Amino acid sequence: MSAAAASPLAATDRLWPAVVISVAAHVALFVVASAARPPVVESASQRPIQARLVRLGQERPKELLPRKEPEAPPAAQPEAPPAPPQATAAPPATPGKAGPTAPAKAAAPGATKAGPAAPGTRPSGSRLSSVLSQLSQEIREGSPDGDPLGEASQAEGDQYLAAVVQTLRRSYRLPATIPERERQALSGTLLLHVDREGKITSFEFTRKSGNPVFDEALERAVRQTRLPPPPAAQREIYQRGVEVDFRI
Amino acid sequence: MPPRLLLAVLLAAAAAPALADRPRVVVDSPDFRPLPVAVPALLAAGDAAGADEATGVLRADLALSGLFDVLDPRGYLAEAGEGLAAPAIRFGRWTSVGAEGLVKARVKREAGGLAADLKIFDVPAAREVLQRGVSAPDPRALGHALADEVVRFYGGEAGVFRTRIVAVRRNRELRELVLFDADGRNPRVLLSESALLLMPAWHPDGDRILVTSYRGGRPELWVYRLSDRSFKKLPTGHVTMGGAFSPDGRQVAFTVADGSDTDIWVASADGTGARRLTNSPALDLSPAWSPDGRRIAFVSDRVGTPQLFTMNADGSNQKRLTFQGNYNQTPQWSPRGDLIAFTARDERRVFDVFVVGVETGRIQRITQDQGRTNEEPSWAPNGRLLAFTSDRGGVPQLVVSDAKGDRQQVTSAGGELATPAWGPRAAE
Repeated sequence: MSAAAASPLAATDRLWPAVVISVAAHVALFVVASAARPPVVESASQRPIQARLVRLGQERPKELLPRKEPEAPPAAQPEAPPAPPQATAAPPATPGKAGPTAPAKAAAPGATKAGPAAPGTRPSGSRLSSVLSQLSQEIREGSPDGDPLGEASQAEGDQYLAAVVQTLRRSYRLPATIPERERQALSGTLLLHVDREGKITSFEFTRKSGNPVFDEALERAVRQTRLPPPPAAQREIYQRGVEVDFRI
Repeated sequence: MPPRLLLAVLLAAAAAPALADRPRVVVDSPDFRPLPVAVPALLAAGDAAGADEATGVLRADLALSGLFDVLDPRGYLAEAGEGLAAPAIRFGRWTSVGAEGLVKARVKREAGGLAADLKIFDVPAAREVLQRGVSAPDPRALGHALADEVVRFYGGEAGVFRTRIVAVRRNRELRELVLFDADGRNPRVLLSESALLLMPAWHPDGDRILVTSYRGGRPELWVYRLSDRSFKKLPTGHVTMGGAFSPDGRQVAFTVADGSDTDIWVASADGTGARRLTNSPALDLSPAWSPDGRRIAFVSDRVGTPQLFTMNADGSNQKRLTFQGNYNQTPQWSPRGDLIAFTARDERRVFDVFVVGVETGRIQRITQDQGRTNEEPSWAPNGRLLAFTSDRGGVPQLVVSDAKGDRQQVTSAGGELATPAWGPRAAE
């Protein structure tokens, strides 16, 4: 010890290993602590999830053939123009489309500048009443504890994330002329920063698709979207960002 | 490693768990928005008649393809004499009606029919992007040929508007084999029989049509040839109810009825060498080939109710495909390989058209609340359109629809139609 005390430099040399070990121990403690903490957003870390809101309605027996989501009344006469665009099983329309401000799907003839649906706003009085009137007209199938604005007949994933997916999908449009063989390969990922009111304050590409038409459509979709406000407990997480993987 | 660098690495590692908690979702199934195109009336040069008819066919075909939103011609602002040369076209007027594509053509007479000078313009860029000559024997055929060119330019694959659909029509006491254009119009009678005719099926050569006929007093396979209008029996040696040529045209699969049992057999395309593929005491019928010719879909009630099954083309590996519904029939394999269209009776005792994913088994509905019977779907060669019959107008008539049932076009050809079969593209 007497030799070490004689030179301050020698003392520092012996100190570095101790510092490194101490930092390593602290890091290990941090890692263990964060791993042990229950995941704040269930089943959402790193693995992208499919999410759908369950519609309020009766459970449909599984052995029956599926039914289409009802939208506008189907064309009854043979020579009538093609039936108004019906929702299909994969992105079904929300009940709000039956309301007075039904957003025109681009298949309608004439200028299609009607614009997208009012993105992700809270249910207005007219939308809610059209939902309720539709409920009384037809037995909707879904789950007895579902949501009046839900779309699917089976629930999947976290509820807020399901609302995020549903809202973004309404603005997610591509030109039909993109050739089939190019479509399957198209995918891009954006990181959206969402504030406490659900507004997307900023976004960036974490992975571009390589197809400028597709990337442009993604930017358009995000700009036209207003998400519902995130749950209070997760505001910071959504401010840091939610990753959205757009695919075909 | 220098101690300071090691420190930095460790501190960065400490930050990693915070990044790992970021929520991540998938958004799929975009809305494929049709491209807005303007199709002004085709111009007629000299004494060429039929330009208007060709215009109507072209517009309807483009709308049916699902790729385009054909803008209403009543809203067009351009002058009639605008012509086909890009410098003379006022693109601003086309932009104001919302067009992104502009399709123009001039039609003139030529030996054997009509010829058209087709031009496609990119409206936002204000320039011509395609110029092509197209010929056809008559105005309808010209409209279809122009539609195929436009579809090929924008969509990158050959169109189907020059293909034909064959169906059986009951006309009082007669049974007719009737040929239609791809849009379900322009019926032409190929055969008119007093004996029952059923279930036509095309050979990939586009000339031969397999039909089940009762001309011989019992159901057997016969072949009609478009080129020489001949109608000859296919001598399989069995009582047969319905058949299908393989995609390479070398074989034919068919249903043999033996008393109350039916089974699926296969033979060479000339009927020789018939051998059995299924051998269950249950009813096995309605074979449909996969587009690669390696598998066959069929109906069997071996599980108690008629369900769809698939098997290899040699009869091995027979396995069930549909698990919903209790009356599934008439499978047809999409030329794209991923879906099989079929007829099913639902819990309301209504017959509707459905599709099932071959790999997923997931069933999607195509028709709903559109008459009591929608049945016998047949795929267009591009796998994007379906032809089937529907009684929504009172008697069964032909419907041409997109693959999801969002756009359905019903035509009316008199009589009662059954079992449509969509023919192949002509060899280019």
